[in-house]
This record gives sequence, structure tokens and C-alpha cells, in this order.
Amino acid sequence: MNGMNDQRFFDLAMKMVTRTCTDAERTELDSLMAAHPELKAELEKLQTDTRLAREALPLLAAMEATSPELPAYAREPLRTKVRQTLGRPAPSQAKPFWNWRWILGLAAGGTAVVVLLLVLMRQPEPVIQVAMLDTVGGSRGPAANDIDVLQQEWSAGPVASFDKATEMENWKTNWPTAREVVAKVSYDRASAEVRVLLRRDGKTQEKTFVVDHDLASTLKEADGFIRDQTRR
Amino acid sequence: MSAPDLKALQTGDSTAWDAAFSWVWPTVFAVAQLKLQPYFPDEVEDVAIEALEELVEKVRVLKSSEELKPLAASIAHHRAVSLLRERFAKKRGEGKTESLDAPAVGESAPYEWASSDSPLVDLEQKELAQRLGKSLAELKPPLGEILSDFFLHGLRYEEIARKRSMAVGSVGVYLKRGLDAIRRIWGRSENS
Repeated sequence: MNGMNDQRFFDLAMKMVTRTCTDAERTELDSLMAAHPELKAELEKLQTDTRLAREALPLLAAMEATSPELPAYAREPLRTKVRQTLGRPAPSQAKPFWNWRWILGLAAGGTAVVVLLLVLMRQPEPVIQVAMLDTVGGSRGPAANDIDVLQQEWSAGPVASFDKATEMENWKTNWPTAREVVAKVSYDRASAEVRVLLRRDGKTQEKTFVVDHDLASTLKEADGFIRDQTRR
Repeated sequence: MSAPDLKALQTGDSTAWDAAFSWVWPTVFAVAQLKLQPYFPDEVEDVAIEALEELVEKVRVLKSSEELKPLAASIAHHRAVSLLRERFAKKRGEGKTESLDAPAVGESAPYEWASSDSPLVDLEQKELAQRLGKSLAELKPPLGEILSDFFLHGLRYEEIARKRSMAVGSVGVYLKRGLDAIRRIWGRSENS
């Protein structure tokens, strides 16, 4: 068959397969197949392809779907699944800008200057304020234990304790005015998250730490973050 | 919404995962609904959530973020089919066969979704995901839409031509090209 007849056969076959053929088209298809018996096999192939299309196309359409939205109740269990399966993301390590020869060459001459600069430009120690939000009561073990752990990590001041999220939010927005560097550490027992808010020179940084294993090691991590950021 | 950053997902970045879950959810939900809505509509959401959980487990083997949705769809499809098989096997065991043997007119029997007659059910999860990915790449607009108009929505050549503002003759050319692609991607290989 030539190209035109080929396309005509295809169109008629499609109409036959989808049962939208008129009588005249059916007659035309029959005569084409009588003239070219090899088309019988081609028609069978097209029937198989049609079945494939009817099964695959709905799946492809599903991949283009944009609604509905993920139900809110599913979010937290899914986050837990991510933490349990993949753990926390490792902190990214910046590539060294200078190679070791540069560092060795400059180290000797620079030491004195660095020491002098450290003395002159040392950042003041940050004030660290600590609070705990306990909306779940005793369901996650005694809250007093957690307060002790918080107190052990940051013993310089008291640990505030709230049972309402609004109280915690008020505490977070209440910054002392006199100090240059202040860190607010809040521990939410319900979501098992430690959040650090760090304010320096009027700018605020925020980082959240998930309590994966135990609270004490997460607090160490949070403290490390505060020290690291305030050293800069 | 664009595809999430795969590297961030593989390292467990919670923000990236939050975005990914929202992005993939409509797909897993639609696939689960496709299979389960007629028989077990209450299971659709659960199966979709389980599919996302399994996606988290498998994300490390992916090489590009374009593979995310096809894999998620494939997982949801397999989970839905497994559930159908399990539930219907149980019903058969209990002698409750009436509803299965007498589907409504125009509906396929439930076994059809899960039987080995279906060319898709036999495919391994990974293979199904690969074929879905290939299909998405090959059936670029308007090819995919025209195939859907014809095979899923039952539109005639003339109706498709009007809807897509094209010549009636072009509809058949597109259909032929699209069906060739489907045969190439989804047809049984020599080895299978």
C-alpha cells in the first residue's frame, strides 16, 4: 500500500476499533483488507495497541494531575518517615578557598596579627534565652526531665516553660534591647523540635533541629550552631 | 510547581521533602483512585500515603528528579493492584463472589485490573516507572492530549479537530504517530 492508503487504512481501523465506523466506512475497510490480506494482522496489532493505550493513558494523565492537596494529617507521619529513613541532612562543608601551601606560607606571619585581631574584635558572648513548650503534658514522659536537660546545657539563665503556643510565640518576639547578640532557644515537645532564633545587629537567623535520638545531643548541636554563628 | 531538588531529597532535607510530597501527591492520589475508586474508595488516600512512604525509601536509587513522579505513580499502581488482589482473593475465599462476577454494564470486572491479562500489571515496579517516564518524554503536546481525546474521552476525529483547531486529516496522523510510540514503549519486548 502507498502512504495515503496506509493512513486511510489506519483511520478506518481506528474507527472500527472504537465502534464509530459508518456502514460505508466498514465496507471500504473490508474491501481494503480483501485486496491486502496482510492488513488482517495489522488490524490485530492496532487492537492490541488500542488496549495498551487505554491502560497507559490514564496513568499518564494521573502524572499531570495538580489536585487535590496533600491532607494536613499526612504531613507529620511523612516527615517522620523521612527522618527515620534518610536521617538529618549532613551539614555542608565549604570548599577551602586557599590551598595548603598558601596557608602554611601565611600562617607564621599571620599568627601575631590574628591574635591581635581576636583580642580587639572579639564578639561579646551571646545571651542565650531558653524556653520549652509543652502542649502534650505527660504523654512524652515527664516534662521536668526535659527542663533539667535544657538547664544543664544552658545554665546561665532560667528555662521558661509554656503550655500554650501563643505564650511561646510572645516569648519569641520579646527581645532584650541592650545586648548585641541574643539567641532564643525554644524546645517544642509535641513536634520534638528545637528552634534557635539568633539576633545580631538587628538581623535574625533561624534554624530548626529535630530531636531524633535524645534531647541532650540535639541541644549540643544547637549550642554548637549558636557558638559557630556568633564567632563569625 | 517545579520538580524538587533530588540531591536535597536524598540527604533528607525536610523542606525539600515537604515540597516534594505536595508535588507528587496529586499523582499518587490519581493513580490510586483510578484503580480503587470503583471498589474500595475508602482505601484511596491510605494507598496514596503508603506510596509516598515507599517513595522515601527508594529515592536514593534515582538519578534525576524527572524520575520521581513516574516512580511514585508506579508504586501507587502496584500497591493498588496488590490491595485489589488481596481483597478479592479474600472475598473469593469467603464465597462472596456475586459482586465480582457481575460488574455493572460498561464497567470492567475487578479481576481485569489485577489479572495477568493486563499488560501493565505484569511489569515490575521499576520497569513500569521507566515506561511511564519514557511516555511522558515522547508524547509531547498535542500528541498525548489527542490520544486521550480519542481513546479515553471517545471524541471523534471531527470533534478533536475542532477542539484542537487542526485539520481532520491531521488528527489521524497524530493518532498514528502516538499509537506507534505507545507500541514502541509499552509493547511486549522480544524477551518478555
